[in-house]
Amino acid sequence: MKKKLLVFLMAAMAIFVLAACTANEDAGTETNEEEENTGEEENTASGEKVLYMNNGTEPTSFDPAVGFDAVSWNPLNNLMEGLTRLGEDDTPQAAIAEDWDLSDDGTVYTFHIREDANWSNGDPVVAEDFVFAWERLLNPETGSAAAFLGYFIEGGEAYNSGEGSAEDLGIEAVDEKTFEVTLAEPTGYFLHVISNPAFFPVNAAVAEENSEWFAEADSFVSNGPFTLESWEHDSEMVFVKNEEYWDADTVKLDKVHWAMVNDTNTEYQMFEAGELDVTELPSEMAEQLIDEENVVIKDQAGLYFYRFNVTEEPFQNAKIRKAFALAVNQQDIVEYVTKNGEEAATAFVSPGFESPSGNDFRDENGDLVEYNPEEAKQLLEEGMEEEGYDELPEVTLSYSTSDAHKAIAETMQSAFSENLGIDVVLENTEASVFLDDQKALNHQLSRSSFIFDYGDPVNFLESFITDSSMNRTGWSNEEYNELIANAKSESDEEQRWEYMYEAERLLAEEMPIFPIHYYNQVHMYSDPVSGIVRHPVGYVELKWADKSE
Amino acid sequence: MLKYIAKRLLIMAVTLWVIVTLTFILMISIPGSPLNSERNTNEVVQANLEAHYNLDEPYYVQYMLYIKSIVTFDFGPSIKQPNQTVNDLLGRGFPISFELGIITIIVALISGITLGILAALRHNGIIDYLAISLAVLGISIPNFVLATLLIQKLAVDWNILPPATWSSPAHMVLPVIALATGPMAIIARLTRSTMLEVLTQDYIKMARAKGLSPWKIVLKHALRNALMPVVTIMGTLLAGILTGTFVIEKIFAIPGMGRYFVESINQRDYPVIMGTTVFYSAFLIFMLFLVDIVYGILDPRIKLHKKGGA
Repeated sequence: MKKKLLVFLMAAMAIFVLAACTANEDAGTETNEEEENTGEEENTASGEKVLYMNNGTEPTSFDPAVGFDAVSWNPLNNLMEGLTRLGEDDTPQAAIAEDWDLSDDGTVYTFHIREDANWSNGDPVVAEDFVFAWERLLNPETGSAAAFLGYFIEGGEAYNSGEGSAEDLGIEAVDEKTFEVTLAEPTGYFLHVISNPAFFPVNAAVAEENSEWFAEADSFVSNGPFTLESWEHDSEMVFVKNEEYWDADTVKLDKVHWAMVNDTNTEYQMFEAGELDVTELPSEMAEQLIDEENVVIKDQAGLYFYRFNVTEEPFQNAKIRKAFALAVNQQDIVEYVTKNGEEAATAFVSPGFESPSGNDFRDENGDLVEYNPEEAKQLLEEGMEEEGYDELPEVTLSYSTSDAHKAIAETMQSAFSENLGIDVVLENTEASVFLDDQKALNHQLSRSSFIFDYGDPVNFLESFITDSSMNRTGWSNEEYNELIANAKSESDEEQRWEYMYEAERLLAEEMPIFPIHYYNQVHMYSDPVSGIVRHPVGYVELKWADKSE
Repeated sequence: MLKYIAKRLLIMAVTLWVIVTLTFILMISIPGSPLNSERNTNEVVQANLEAHYNLDEPYYVQYMLYIKSIVTFDFGPSIKQPNQTVNDLLGRGFPISFELGIITIIVALISGITLGILAALRHNGIIDYLAISLAVLGISIPNFVLATLLIQKLAVDWNILPPATWSSPAHMVLPVIALATGPMAIIARLTRSTMLEVLTQDYIKMARAKGLSPWKIVLKHALRNALMPVVTIMGTLLAGILTGTFVIEKIFAIPGMGRYFVESINQRDYPVIMGTTVFYSAFLIFMLFLVDIVYGILDPRIKLHKKGGA
């Protein structure tokens, strides 16, 4: 027996040692790579500029039509380029298209593609590459969640919903370097829409040979400021400057290293240890860090808001809805609860949208939802009288499980109690369940947020037309529907903006939703880093980024 | 013995089937769908996507497809990361989790047992009190607190070790300490208490009376019996640590498989949920089986084949 035990122990040891060895072999190769990396860092000292970024997680997909989220499109925006790219002033600038003509009725764009626009494999970027990519975006077989962005194109919606065909799409390669787009309606902000990664071209020859060309670094072809040198899934990506890029002289960085650290505390600690050049602020430390010199706060177009369900008591009554809206002090919430430098929202469309006359949408339409406890109380009484309530039916406030949402919900709960004398019940559910319930109108009063997909206020405002899947309030208003329809088809820009102003005022009057705060982007940069551009609508730009020695 | 093993294997297969079936039922009964997004795609696109992932099939067909995927060990593509198959995700994540886990277990075993023996030999002495304080601390400090503390002190403040990611042996030190401290404390306490018990046994007195050196008595005679409880917890500990730990991997940005257990459920990524569950269950069941076998070898009083044959 003793011998048996000995044999067993030996065997067990052997297994452990072997296992450890295989593990160590892996470690060995990784060590070599690390040594190479260290080598690169040494090169940095001798003049190579490497920017260390964090992407949070593995990108969902680098397929331009499929990766509809920030973790995919932030990096992709720097590998590829569409007809236009947002400039340092956040407006669309000529990019792969050198210039373009617009027909008199505002519906036909003719883009002239740069002669020197090339793919990283040396192929020229041609009009067919755009036809290929845009058809793919709208093809119902692709299953793209971003396809709705292509509905501005004639025949786009019909093709995507299985009614039309690819031949009827308003896109055409006139010749190798001329690309013509026919729109369904005149769309003043179309040049902004197509700066979005969903509209990036795809090298048709490469894609026909390998339909998964975007899945690995080896097969990836880019046409933007950088190329994908390596991609170790779930761990890191390395971008190198793309010498084939038409504007390569502008690009100052030699390399961008992307980590995938999905924890803000760790991200911040890595920044402190000098392993990252950019970090977000951990929420527990936001208050103490936000005033630091190297913190940059930029607007992010979008709104944190609450939805009423107008099909459930007591929120069928507009006065009661308004009473609830006016009872919440948004300023207190951003100052004492979120503490992340956001701007309190006193209306729906976030600041940063410039009207044809050069004014900000927000300044033009003013404050529409202002904290006013007296008026709130008054409105509540009137509303209750209209409905014949002696006592308000019980109200449940719902949010998806998260500490941040909880803190805001609790603040609102105490505001309702203090200002209206109403005790609402708080309820939280897991995010996916919450979304299902909200779509099915199972909530009474529920948390929501909206981040803009393209640079026009109508992107948000059209959410609340009847039958929109983004409506989720049960609210339906003919006048509002008409205003939005006009705001989408009017070719006179001044008049179009008038419709949008009016629509927003109507939203404030009827109050199917009420605003809490606008979004922002807060980042801390290491001293040598400059020139990283973040747009209110759009994705991070490293084209102009630089890192001094 | 062979008969016993055969029987155990059969039971293991049945257990696995029960787990898979329960997981499937739970999975389809939680509200929310993997294709549910903030903005609805149009119906044709939605239908295409559902058909692509077989979500339009009746549940019994989906169930059969899952069973098939388990038998062939091919779970198909992840729904949330469409360019990756579940096998890709597990194949990439598991070796890293396993590497971290093996090192952790070895560190925990060696340090835990040493600490336990020292404490038992110097019963009620300073070393004992120190070891026990250390063990109590190790058990009561959650590993994510320890992890953050280690990064802050060793990586940020003193700049001795890299804070996170998984790319060199130096990167492994902090996560291994953070992860090994808890199991080490448990092992130390278990070893100490059984060791104290064993040391009062007659055969140890006999060994002492024979004039054997104290170290020989401990290592050769006492330790084998003192390790039984440690072996008991090794099964679950191994399965738990080797298949990745969500929190530690997240804090140290280690690309292991721990996060898929949590994220796949949040995202309702059905193939990944099934893949990780099957993988973990099979691993756990196998580890428990190994532990039973080891019992039989360490302690001759446990007769596996008889128990199995009866």
